[in-house]
Amino acid sequence: MIRLENVYKSYAPGQFALKGVSLEVERGEFVFLIGPSGSGKSTMLRLLLREDIADQGSVWVAGKDLSKIPSWKVPYFRRNIGSIFQDFRLLPNKSAYENVAFALEVIGKSRKAAEKQVPQILELVGLADKMHRLPNELSGGEQQRVAIARAFVNRPLILLADEPTGNLDPETAWGVMRLLERINRTGTAVVMATHDVGIVDQMRRRVVEIDSGAIARDQIRGVYGLGVHQ
Amino acid sequence: MGLSVEYVVRETAGNLWRNRLMSLAAMLTIAVSLALVGSALLLKQGVATSTQAWKGGVQLLIFMQPNATNAQSKAIVTQLGTLPSVQRYSYVNKAVSYQEFRRLFANQPDLLNSVSEAQIPPSYRVVLKNPSEAPSIGQIFNGQPGVKAVDYNFAAIQTLEKVSSIAQGVIIGLAVILLLSATVLILNVIRVAIFSRRREVTVMKLVGATNWFIRIPFMLEGFTQGLVGALIAGAAVLGIRALFNYLIQRFQVHLLSGFVLTSHDVLMTELVVFAIGVVVGTTGSALAVRRYLDV
Repeated sequence: MIRLENVYKSYAPGQFALKGVSLEVERGEFVFLIGPSGSGKSTMLRLLLREDIADQGSVWVAGKDLSKIPSWKVPYFRRNIGSIFQDFRLLPNKSAYENVAFALEVIGKSRKAAEKQVPQILELVGLADKMHRLPNELSGGEQQRVAIARAFVNRPLILLADEPTGNLDPETAWGVMRLLERINRTGTAVVMATHDVGIVDQMRRRVVEIDSGAIARDQIRGVYGLGVHQ
Repeated sequence: MGLSVEYVVRETAGNLWRNRLMSLAAMLTIAVSLALVGSALLLKQGVATSTQAWKGGVQLLIFMQPNATNAQSKAIVTQLGTLPSVQRYSYVNKAVSYQEFRRLFANQPDLLNSVSEAQIPPSYRVVLKNPSEAPSIGQIFNGQPGVKAVDYNFAAIQTLEKVSSIAQGVIIGLAVILLLSATVLILNVIRVAIFSRRREVTVMKLVGATNWFIRIPFMLEGFTQGLVGALIAGAAVLGIRALFNYLIQRFQVHLLSGFVLTSHDVLMTELVVFAIGVVVGTTGSALAVRRYLDV
């Protein structure tokens, strides 16, 4: 599903954000990406979304070599990938329903299709009763659920999450994690960059630790730290 | 790629409304500059028709009586052939003169209907070796049998053409400056629109909207501004034409009696105005989209 082979990426001469990273994520896997700020997590997510291109090495996502996709095809590639962020990235002047429907509209789905799919997905994330609220009338956790609904409404093969619980209190964060687990169980691979020690330690999923642009650890049922990075 | 008409119309109209003051400024600038372009074109066309007979360095016109005899015409031709100051001359027969007459007075149907081909004078168009001799040569023919009138108003015509071409130059120069500022204004309006919608643009990219899906509403916004500006200018051109016609008839300016703007001239002017408006609008927005919309 995702394969990085000896990937290098540099934003300034001589300084590598990623140096020689190789990683493979299978269909339906759940992976935590951990590491200090500036370690290269965000760079990796940007490469996976094809917001950047690797300087060296190859990045394969959903069966495509990302260095070989012409830029006009990138939007079609992105429809296979859902993404959520710490700051939710909802449109403030649109209701929860409209935010999700917007994602369908911009990829050319009909209004009818939206009328069918959007309530379903909002039901799945537990917001059926708050469909017509604006983002500022929703709590942080609820806003992130709307963002997840938007990311998942096209049933992507991969869900990329960049610190999705970073702005949430622990209890709300767990609600979001349970939702991500459910999505993962439908066969969608989830790659989540996080600093949340509690979540990583309790979920016991695969942990990939990045340090200074290189993979420092890759454990199948890992925990956040072994005391070294705490 | 599923770009629905409804979506595009809604987005474009929304953008225009959000930036209505700036949009209005851009549209009015386009309207003013295109109205100038239009008047310059009308002026050019009007002067071209009114000086038609003087094309090619003709300095002297000898109008024959419509019923002049062959012998009378022959006498004129003989003199034209022997006068040393005549470089060359041409004969314009009744049929050709009548056609020109019909074209020149196309917008005065009463006059057209009251004059038949038989009443139109044929004429000689004379090119002299030395233009300053026009009055003296003209005097030779004036009053000869069969000659109706002699016109050597060449100097005035030349002045008219010179003044008009300077006026055209100044007007077009102004219009070009205004059109450039209109392009920059539109570029800026679209830049502001892109900036105020950057959240939407980010989200659209996130969920896989195609580049054209994101660009088209912005491009169409500039296109619309250009078009609306051109429509206003188009109405202004019609008004200017009416004003020209009114002034010429009101003041009976002899020299400009042939200053006629045919429907064809006006139609061509309107087409040019629309084309420039649309090109300016689309160029401005295309530049903005290229520079500020990073898709």
